[in-house]
Amino acid sequence: VSAPSSRLLVTLTRSLIRILALAEKETHHIRRDPQTLALALAMPVGLLLLFGYGVTFDLDRLPLVVVDQDQTSTSRSVIETFAHSGDLVVAGRAVSTEEAEASLRGGQAVGVLVIPRGFSRALARGERATLQLVVDGADASTATQTVNKADATAMAAVLVPQHTAITQIPRLVGQSWILYNPEMRSTFMLVPGLMAYILAVVCVLLTALTVAREWERGSMEQLFTTPVRRGELILGKLLPYVALGGMGVLLVLAVGAWAFEVPIRGSIPALGTAALLFLVGMLAQGLFVSVVTKNQMVATQVGTLSSMLPTQLLSGFVFPVANMPAPLQLIANLLPATHFIAALRGILLRGNGFREQGSHLLALAAFAVVMTTITALRFRRRLD
Amino acid sequence: MLPRWLVQLLAVALKEVRQTVSDRRMMALLLVAPVIQLGVFGSAVNFDVDRVPTVVVDHDHTAASRAHLEHVLADGTLRRTVETESDAAALAELDAGRAAAALIVPAGFAAALARGEAATLQVVVDGTDPNRGSIAAAAVARYGRVATRELARGAARARAGEGLGASPRADVELVPRVLYNPRLRTSRYVVPGILALLLLVVTVIVTAMGLARERETGTLEQVLVTPIGSTTLLLGKLLPYVLIGLFDFVLGLAVAAWAFDVPIRGSVGVVLLGTLAYVTCSLGIGLLISTVSLTQQQAFIGGFLFMLPALLLSGVLTPLWGIPEWLRPVTLVNPVRHYVEIVRGVLLRGATFSELQVQFAALGATAAAVLTVASWRFKRGWS
Repeated sequence: VSAPSSRLLVTLTRSLIRILALAEKETHHIRRDPQTLALALAMPVGLLLLFGYGVTFDLDRLPLVVVDQDQTSTSRSVIETFAHSGDLVVAGRAVSTEEAEASLRGGQAVGVLVIPRGFSRALARGERATLQLVVDGADASTATQTVNKADATAMAAVLVPQHTAITQIPRLVGQSWILYNPEMRSTFMLVPGLMAYILAVVCVLLTALTVAREWERGSMEQLFTTPVRRGELILGKLLPYVALGGMGVLLVLAVGAWAFEVPIRGSIPALGTAALLFLVGMLAQGLFVSVVTKNQMVATQVGTLSSMLPTQLLSGFVFPVANMPAPLQLIANLLPATHFIAALRGILLRGNGFREQGSHLLALAAFAVVMTTITALRFRRRLD
Repeated sequence: MLPRWLVQLLAVALKEVRQTVSDRRMMALLLVAPVIQLGVFGSAVNFDVDRVPTVVVDHDHTAASRAHLEHVLADGTLRRTVETESDAAALAELDAGRAAAALIVPAGFAAALARGEAATLQVVVDGTDPNRGSIAAAAVARYGRVATRELARGAARARAGEGLGASPRADVELVPRVLYNPRLRTSRYVVPGILALLLLVVTVIVTAMGLARERETGTLEQVLVTPIGSTTLLLGKLLPYVLIGLFDFVLGLAVAAWAFDVPIRGSVGVVLLGTLAYVTCSLGIGLLISTVSLTQQQAFIGGFLFMLPALLLSGVLTPLWGIPEWLRPVTLVNPVRHYVEIVRGVLLRGATFSELQVQFAALGATAAAVLTVASWRFKRGWS
């Protein structure tokens, strides 16, 4: 072995030892603080269960107030059908539309069903009878679902007794199949989003807090007096959190598969690559925030602003990116979370691999490289 | 002369304000950031689903199939991206994520209609986004109902024309009338929710971490040895944040009205009263969190653990009616839910105080309970 290469080997070994020592120190910090561990590991599972059981987009038992101006057996049977539809419930009765609208304003009902006078007479004569539905449009998606469900219920209420009559006329049936997620479970959509969310929060906020704490307490100064280089400092700080984040990802996947049967249909190497690239990018962002702010309070607010809220609202987690105005779509496409979630959905649910998701993986890699470089440049050893 | 407690209260509040103002970045984060976030997130958060990319397969190739396809696509919910000859090619588009729905007209479609039978229009949707998927499926189902009515009317007319006499067919039509937001824009509903979310982020974490910092650095101890009573101390500490919360709310309301066209139909006084109760409540929660945490990091995690479920079970992002029934009672003790109902009620529906008294009572009771427990814990921990 020649002299220069053995010297290089020694340098590298020393460097590795320093990195591992730093990583070990950081691991001790994490282990001494069970709340941090809880945030990283127990919270994702809790969130997943809460989301999985608590959030659905298919609304049911929507409360209606009924105004029956017809007062006949037919109108009463229509009300019965609405009351037992499951999708809608009759939350109350009112004498006038005005009275009913007060419960809309107070938020106790989402709609008012008005059965106008002469409803049953029109039906008996074989004419077209109208039902009126006043809906609270303030919540647009609830309003749309209420109208759709009431429309289908109203048709069922009146048409079922005349079933023989419909078979004689042509009709058109809209038939639907659902792929990848036949039961339309929201967990299938939320698991990829949650993985991104949890990783973003754990990475950015925990690294932001821990490094900012070192600055606040002055222990960063002590680190600078040691022979540790800035690249080593960054790697040593990042490693334990990469491991922690990786554990979080596995935990979410396991709970998703076990409790909600979320599948992993695509390539596992592609999944691992995406998770690792995202993790490194977000950790570097957290380090960057802490290096710039050097204060825990400011770091958390900036971290919340730059990672938590965008991952929640701009990444396509719940609200589709395609519906956003053009400038926001641009911002969304700069966020690593957007690419991570898109890649995860393809890999987990649609059975994609490197070929289909290559562009998203490339975007994640670009972010990780850029963020690490910027952080290393800002992380000056001198105290300013 | 002012009573002594008031002088002390103002002194504490002034100290708190000075401390906050001295950190410019913190001031910017407390006062300006929420408004910018409201602007950005308000325009991002949108449940309106339209232009779902759709691949079209027409196996029937008849005038009827083409006409019905045009009609289904006409309302804009589905947008045709490409037309393929085989089902397999259409499904490949879905697999790659280039389309989210496939609209298929099976062979024999027009023949079935002509024979007076049921013809089907098939739609295959990508279920990875259940909201988008169900809207696409519902659009096709709705079109089926509309077309059936049209066909029935046409058949009745045809029979009448053939001199068979009018064949009356009883039918029922549901006429919807949309109040408060006739164009059904999501932003009007979501923006007040985001406002509530941002107020929560600003108040809970800042109080929790602020007190934890004083404890970490030991300055809380110094204040506690002064003759100031602990209640006065608490009120003085919370007062500036109540004002910041109200300030953020007014600024946010202006942005909501100006940029998102959110109407202010009810009384501003009622909303402000609600905001006062809500901010008090969330500050109390922040205080409570700070009494159980030793470090800033723990305080932050505590705030986070409260905020997430509180937001999820509040109706801010997803409708309350999507929460399963066994979980709905939990939302009754959630201040975010009541506050959002108050804000939406007053702004969008012009609700009055008496129409919202349930929400006000719940919010007030929560605020009182939280503050009592928090100040009791605070005093116990430091006496």
